[in-house]
Amino acid sequence: MKTASAGTVESMDCIVTASEADPGSGVTVQIAGASAARFGSAMRAAVLSVVSKMGITDVTLSVQDNGALDLVLQARTEAALERLKGGDVA
Amino acid sequence: MSINAVGRHLPDAIPGYGPVKPFQGAAARVPEGHRDGGRLRAVYGGKDKVLPDLKAAIAASGLQSGMTISFHHHLRNGDHVINAVVDACAEMGLRDLVLFPTALFGVHKKLIPHIKSGVIRRIMGSVNGPIGQLVSEGGMEDPVVLRSHGGRPRAVTSGDVHIDVAFVGAPTADRYGNISGVGSRSACGSLGYAHTDAMYADCVVAVTDNLQPYPISRISIPQHYVDFVVAVESIGDPAGIVSGSTQITRDPLRLLISRYASQLIEASPCFKNGISFQTGAGGIPLAVTAFLKDAMKRRNVKGSFGLGGITGYFVDLLREGYVERLLDVQSFDLEAVKSIAENPDHIEISADWYANPWNSGAAVNALDVVILGATELDRDFNANVNTEADGALLHGTGGHQDTAAGAGLTIIAQPLLRGRIPCVVDAVYSVTTPGEVVDALVTEFGVTLNPRRTDLVEACREAKTVPLVPMEELVDRAKKLTGPMDPVVTEERIVGVIEWRDGTVLDVVRQLTPRK
Amino acid sequence: MSLRRTMLYLPGNNPNMLLRGHLFRPDGLILDLEDAVAPSEKDAARILVRDVLCRGEFGGCEVTVRINGMDTELWREDVAAVVPAGATGLRVPKVENPRDIRLLDEYLGEVESHAGIAEGRTAIFCLLETALGIWRAYDIATASPRVAALIPGGEDLTADLRTNRSADGTELATIRSLLVVAARAAGVDALDTVYPRVADDEGLRREVAFIKQLGFDGKSVIHPNQIPIVHDIFTPTEAEVEKAKRIVAAARDAAARGLGAVQVDGRMVDKPVVRRAEFTLSRAGLSGEVM
Repeated sequence: MKTASAGTVESMDCIVTASEADPGSGVTVQIAGASAARFGSAMRAAVLSVVSKMGITDVTLSVQDNGALDLVLQARTEAALERLKGGDVA
Repeated sequence: MSINAVGRHLPDAIPGYGPVKPFQGAAARVPEGHRDGGRLRAVYGGKDKVLPDLKAAIAASGLQSGMTISFHHHLRNGDHVINAVVDACAEMGLRDLVLFPTALFGVHKKLIPHIKSGVIRRIMGSVNGPIGQLVSEGGMEDPVVLRSHGGRPRAVTSGDVHIDVAFVGAPTADRYGNISGVGSRSACGSLGYAHTDAMYADCVVAVTDNLQPYPISRISIPQHYVDFVVAVESIGDPAGIVSGSTQITRDPLRLLISRYASQLIEASPCFKNGISFQTGAGGIPLAVTAFLKDAMKRRNVKGSFGLGGITGYFVDLLREGYVERLLDVQSFDLEAVKSIAENPDHIEISADWYANPWNSGAAVNALDVVILGATELDRDFNANVNTEADGALLHGTGGHQDTAAGAGLTIIAQPLLRGRIPCVVDAVYSVTTPGEVVDALVTEFGVTLNPRRTDLVEACREAKTVPLVPMEELVDRAKKLTGPMDPVVTEERIVGVIEWRDGTVLDVVRQLTPRK
Repeated sequence: MSLRRTMLYLPGNNPNMLLRGHLFRPDGLILDLEDAVAPSEKDAARILVRDVLCRGEFGGCEVTVRINGMDTELWREDVAAVVPAGATGLRVPKVENPRDIRLLDEYLGEVESHAGIAEGRTAIFCLLETALGIWRAYDIATASPRVAALIPGGEDLTADLRTNRSADGTELATIRSLLVVAARAAGVDALDTVYPRVADDEGLRREVAFIKQLGFDGKSVIHPNQIPIVHDIFTPTEAEVEKAKRIVAAARDAAARGLGAVQVDGRMVDKPVVRRAEFTLSRAGLSGEVM
């Protein structure tokens, strides 16, 4: 299974790891870390918005958060998905 | 059910706590009656109070299952005393003990098995780290009671809490029970938090690793309060008791906030000769002190005293003449320990003297400026220092309430965001300190003044040096940055009671529902 | 014209600094895609910097991006990502040929018109990090009307000169003076290189006083703690401000009464002195006050 990730463990950043998923399996998002307890819903929505904007229907994403704002979550998700697409395998 | 003065709904009584007196306002409650006191005792003759070990002292003290034992936290994260005493109690078959420490630290997670097995039934005092998590998840029979450094001696002197046996960790003690906080490798300086317990407990046991011939010098707690003395191998790890030299932070965000806070103080009416302040040992408060020192030098202002937890930085201020005295309830580092032993202007004070609202006037009343932190602040300037964003009870109240209530200018200084977690919200999860005694919040976005303090608003506008941000704007900005928060999901069951320093209830903390 | 006393470098792959840099109130920001970003992170940093630019919260700061060198494959993608996102200036590393600036000017024109941005909005800040770059400073500064400033390199430049950076900056003294002359001749700003010893406040203070005296308009900074120190030195003293106010007021008064000559404190004052007084007031943030 191909995977790619982007981001760092620094404060206000996160590591997003994207893994290929079987066609028809849909989008799965796992979120863990500093803000998950109070911002889980917002974080999930932020990640999903990037996936849908990029027209991806089947992927598994896992977020290890260290206080990232939506903007950062989205930038890291996009980078991870681009890397997955481009074959830049981590 | 009732609603208190900060708008919290409270039950009339809480199982394991008793009837609830709702918070009515910072200075609303006036006590009646007389002070409580320890058991009378007489010692005719005798030159030696030393017993062979902890178990002998526990037996001699008359400690029974269900009784209340107290400890001070001057040995901080180096403390060996609490764990050793509770271990001994467990081995002696005692159960249902009420632990009444002035604070607990990470090192005390070793008590968890004793909580689970029922040796400890209840904790009255701060809980943090793993014990806090355990309590938050409902792992304790009775709710913990959170009191401030002043609220605790109030509870003791008024009889709200009766101490059966006080175990006093003693860096130095003599054979007849005189105790000192200095003079050994376990030196912690001030023993301020232990004084009241020693005076009001039915029995007092000194636990030392530096037993000296009678009498020692520089006595903090004198022999006539102390019943037994036990010598042990070690009362604590020096590395955990005091920190090394305290450095001013280089972190740019903290320095920025500190600079704004110091500009606020300089612009305020209290910046004049005789100014007194408390800044503790945190990164931001210490940096504020450094900026304040520059301002005092530049404007030729001389201070009167520094209060509270004392660091080497404050010792330098005393030595260089920026303040005349230090009133020390707790010495944070080696420099402070050294200074309190040598400098007569560096004065040890008890927690009662420091902060108790129910005596003839505590030291906090004379305080001009205090710099504090908080996990959250709300639109009404209510501060939360007890619970984290996820609702877990992880921090003690410390001197937060007392200094805020006493100081002329109470400043909460910290970043608007810790990661994604904002420090300003519509309503705090738990109220530790009511907004009526909080004057300003300082963040990286500037200074947010409590509109109640029109004098400060005026002074800052005049000075033109302080960037002002209204609370409404700050809350909106935080919301825009972080997005909407999910609610904390809890059970009905109350696991913590947050008292105001006068013993009324500000808020309760409920058991967390496990997240899936 | 905006002040450029301090321009703060922000590492392009560090969300914490990218989001908070403006809070330290420098005059300008440099979101850095070049040296501060590891080769393997160039793609992620470009996305992050683009999104931070789109958000557009930088207080009152002038926002620029240091793109990767024009000797790399990366610079066109950098420009295409950050200019439509809102960068109003590009800091270009290792410029040593006016031809490169003309090439960039042309490409910027394409990107701007494609993105519907007013053509010519994006300014160019030239980092001269080689002896050759310094030697051609004037030609580089005049290669495009977009050029807003010249900045000497630090470490790279001293290496190219076959020396190293000393505490008192002897080796850079002539370079700096040359650069000021070229910048003034071309009508662009002269901005100094960074002071790398971030914990040495006194050293920074000395260096800033020195470069201010040479005629620099400001300095690049690599740590937020350097900002108050640089601003302190570039901010005119109260006496300087008072004198400048009197000169500007007298000049205005003279103009209103149709007089050519201006007298202040009993001395004749000519046009360059009036211009300098106006400049002093703008540095003190007071340009509006006597208008």
